[in-house]
Amino acid sequence: MDGIIEIITQFAAQEPAIFALIIGIIGAAVLSAVVNVGAMLVIWADRKVMSDFCNRFGPNRVGGRWGILQLGADAIKLFTKEDVIPAGVDKGVYVWAPIIASAGTMLVAAAIPFGALHIGGKNYPLVVANMDISAFYVEAALSIMSIAVFMAGYSSNNKYSILGGFRGVARMIAYEVPMGVCVISVAVMAHSLNLVEIVESQTVWYAFAQPLGFIIFIIALVTDLGRVPFDQSEAEEEIICGYSTEYSGIRWGLLYFQEYNNFLLGSILLTLLFLGGWHGPIIPIPILDMISPMIWLLMKVIIVIWFIILIRASLFRLRIDQVTDLGWKWMLPLSLLNLGWAVLIGSYFA
Amino acid sequence: MTNASEVLSSIQSAFPGAVLDSRVESDRRLWATIDSKKILDVCKHLTAKLDFDHYSGSAGVDWMARNEMEVVEIMTSHGAHQVVAMLKVKTPRDNPSVPSLVPLYWNANWYEREIWEMLGINMEGHPELYPLLLSDPLVGSWPWRKDFKGYPDLTTGERAVAITTPEGYTDYYFPPTQAEVEAGTVVAERPKYPTFLEREEREIKSDSEMIMHLGPQHAMVPGPFLLDILVEGERVKKAFLDIGYIHKGIEKIMENRSWLQGITYTDRMCYVASLTNNECYCGAVEKILGLEVPERAQYIRVILEELSRIQSHLIGTGEFLTLIAGVGFAPWQYMIIDRERIISLIESVTGARLTHTFVRFGGVRNDLPEGFAEQCRKDLPYMKSRIEEFIDLFAQDPIYHARMENIGSISPETGKRLGCSGPVLRATGVAYDMRKEDPYLVYPELDFKIITGTRGDSADRIDVRLREMLESIHIIEQCLDKIPSGPIKTEAKIPKKVPAGEAYYRVEDPRGEMGMYVISDGGDKPYRVKVRGPFYATFQTLTPLLEGVYIADAVAIAGSMDGCPSESDR
Amino acid sequence: MGISDVIPVPVAIDEEIEKWTIFGQPVAEVWFTTTEKIHQIIQMGPIKNIFNWGRKNSVYFLMQPMGCCGVEMFVFGAAPYDSDRFGCIPRNTPRQTDVMIISGYLTRKYLPVFKNLWEQMPEPKWCIAIGECAISGGPFYDSYNIVQNTGDYFPIDVFIPGCPPRPEQFLEGLMNLQEKIKQRKDRRDY
Repeated sequence: MDGIIEIITQFAAQEPAIFALIIGIIGAAVLSAVVNVGAMLVIWADRKVMSDFCNRFGPNRVGGRWGILQLGADAIKLFTKEDVIPAGVDKGVYVWAPIIASAGTMLVAAAIPFGALHIGGKNYPLVVANMDISAFYVEAALSIMSIAVFMAGYSSNNKYSILGGFRGVARMIAYEVPMGVCVISVAVMAHSLNLVEIVESQTVWYAFAQPLGFIIFIIALVTDLGRVPFDQSEAEEEIICGYSTEYSGIRWGLLYFQEYNNFLLGSILLTLLFLGGWHGPIIPIPILDMISPMIWLLMKVIIVIWFIILIRASLFRLRIDQVTDLGWKWMLPLSLLNLGWAVLIGSYFA
Repeated sequence: MTNASEVLSSIQSAFPGAVLDSRVESDRRLWATIDSKKILDVCKHLTAKLDFDHYSGSAGVDWMARNEMEVVEIMTSHGAHQVVAMLKVKTPRDNPSVPSLVPLYWNANWYEREIWEMLGINMEGHPELYPLLLSDPLVGSWPWRKDFKGYPDLTTGERAVAITTPEGYTDYYFPPTQAEVEAGTVVAERPKYPTFLEREEREIKSDSEMIMHLGPQHAMVPGPFLLDILVEGERVKKAFLDIGYIHKGIEKIMENRSWLQGITYTDRMCYVASLTNNECYCGAVEKILGLEVPERAQYIRVILEELSRIQSHLIGTGEFLTLIAGVGFAPWQYMIIDRERIISLIESVTGARLTHTFVRFGGVRNDLPEGFAEQCRKDLPYMKSRIEEFIDLFAQDPIYHARMENIGSISPETGKRLGCSGPVLRATGVAYDMRKEDPYLVYPELDFKIITGTRGDSADRIDVRLREMLESIHIIEQCLDKIPSGPIKTEAKIPKKVPAGEAYYRVEDPRGEMGMYVISDGGDKPYRVKVRGPFYATFQTLTPLLEGVYIADAVAIAGSMDGCPSESDR
Repeated sequence: MGISDVIPVPVAIDEEIEKWTIFGQPVAEVWFTTTEKIHQIIQMGPIKNIFNWGRKNSVYFLMQPMGCCGVEMFVFGAAPYDSDRFGCIPRNTPRQTDVMIISGYLTRKYLPVFKNLWEQMPEPKWCIAIGECAISGGPFYDSYNIVQNTGDYFPIDVFIPGCPPRPEQFLEGLMNLQEKIKQRKDRRDY
């Protein structure tokens, strides 16, 4: 064991660049595995929880009575589907859209802390790139999906797709601003844009310190994720499947998957910013006390995900003009109001 | 109150010599043959002076033996009186031509196009005489004429020849069969007209506009039809409707089946309201036969038709909800679950889920099973509480109101002029219901209200449907209390051959006024069955409603009509 | 067939790649023969069984109500009968579906449209004919507008008789299709 460590340290000293690259690749592999498996579970949860709201059972034929392997079956099927690139598409853009969507998600994942280890009375955050402006960076990188959506919609040479792409971009522009202002309000209170520091500074959850900002952020997040009542870019009954109408097989699978990746990461972001992240009483049991911050984070994220799924089952879809109206005429002024409130409270307590 | 003989004398005094032949069947039915040169004036007179403001449809009949063709215009009123005037216009069989009523009644458009493409009767003065139901290769062979022999060659299934279009799609051409060639019905020269695609592409005025196809396969459609919208950005500028994707030719097929077999085809016309379709056909035939239906059978019919209305409204509302909320929306699933209860009630009597063939001439097929009343009394209060919940749900939802209010509004005047009926018309505030207007069965003895709306928009249409279900439950509960014991079929023997005669019978379908015009020539098969479907009329009103709305609204309006393309295509 | 058909690279690069060689063979050719070999291995081996397990448990059907059976199809997909239990959910675009349900009468006017939808579906795909009308014309066997034998135009794997069949029969047909996929006995031998 010591020998191996010695070899590695030697190698790191001799070739620092290559060592960093290898570590980076391993980190990226682990990260994408964690995020993608998480997203798979989110898709599964989406189907099961939706079924529950609808008085159905949901998938229950593969992987035991909970249908846990359903996503495996779906993935295998999508991987082995024929790869159709329809005639008339803008091929380069068409092919790159799902890849850019995945890249965008991974960029988000890189800066998000997935929890913390509690060792010796101190929290060690689990984050790949602990950058100073990570809150803002994550919020910005979440909207890369919209670019992928527009690329997919534009390149497909399909009328439904182009409308879906336009709707996606119009919606993204209208809601990215209030969302950013909300992040700034949180940063003002926390005196930092670093997600880890934001979490650590939450003696009171920011959901209680600035309830208005919390509500606006949830709405903007659901919009960013493109879920009901803001799923105009893929409104099935109006424009078939929106931007992904012409996508099939694994390309569609990738696009579909990224939505859920974003769903997971967005929920984590919401938890970190407003729900106290991994804060919670430490469980006084030997090994569990180490990972208890992660357990708390996971529980909060599950509740957020459950809530967003519940929204889908119970709300009607808004029209695209109503969505942009809501964004520009209500969300933006209210978020600015919230920013003022955050500055007031923040400076008072500081 | 105006009655049929007064109407007749009014026409005769205003236009001497215009009425060539007439028959007053009852106070409510007037049959008159009008000189084809005077028909426009007579209709104008009826509308202006005698409150005949409802052009209810028209039927074409091919009298091959008499070597003439007939167009029957069905005129009635929206509640001012109950007279139905059946005005016949005759024309020679070679080169048939009658004046078009489109200048007077906007909704005559589709009916006359259908008569033209099916029977080849030229409609003088019709602005757009294009085929409606048939695909282009069939136009010109006039399939509803009595000498049409274009049935498929049953010996070989493979008839269609695949051809590749210049765009790379597969198209199919059906070469004429041996029978067609021998009969000489192969179309020598097809009528010249622009295709549907050419017609709509003519309307594109600038580069920023495009045509979007909503159908024939689309998440919005309850059955295949093509709704094309010309959009600029998100705004719909104009809508075009092409139907006939599931045109089965039921009216022609029924001419080749015995009277009893015809009932099965009425089932398949509108499969969510098959009991009312049964009732309409059987009622018309009973009228020709002069049969009296025993009272118990009438009550059974009413119970089942009202149950059928509830399940039809439930699935119609449910589908509408998926259109504005997505398939993940939970209440639509609840509606389907609740509908299963009603379906199982119907099934316990008729033995089928959708296609019942339950109503028979002079009665019903079988009696109510044991325990049916108890089961009904158990299920109906539950349904009532559920429907009240749904009403509350929609009344309280702010997004629903933002989406649906003042969307696709119809004023009462427009509603009457467009010729729509059922919940669509009642939502505008016009209390027009066949159960009160032209009472059939035991409806006059039952106590129920006609549900009306106020604004005539999409929200109102749904609200009317939901509250109508409560009213139906009320009717069924009364029937269960009142139902007498006795025979369920008439004692009289029903002949195989129905005596010559004709009848027009109207019922209230879940989608509105349904009428059937049945002609018998004394044979064992109907000579002609014309179905005046409610959705056919409502469907026609869709295109003007869609001008200037958003795409999302277009879908919502189309959904709030509670479509059944199968019935409009027949 | 060049690289640019598979991977989106500019044509110039494509031409450049075609000049490369490996073991004295053009790279592109080696690539395509290798993938061909892999395909052959997949075709015969147990890998295929794994593929078919995935396919059988994730059959998305095209939402296409056409007649009486279309109404039963709604019910089949919705809560009371819940096809989602079998991993079978409706999709609206043919590009993302695996099975086409012919749920009713196929008319002359609709046949070209329907064939296009079928051709837009990516392989592997299956076809279920539901109801008498879709199988043989049913009560409309002598109609001037109904296509009598849909089997002539589509390789139908499962016929579900009935007028209309009950949703339970839909489920049975679906399970039969799954069994066929598992045993590789479907019409197109996937």
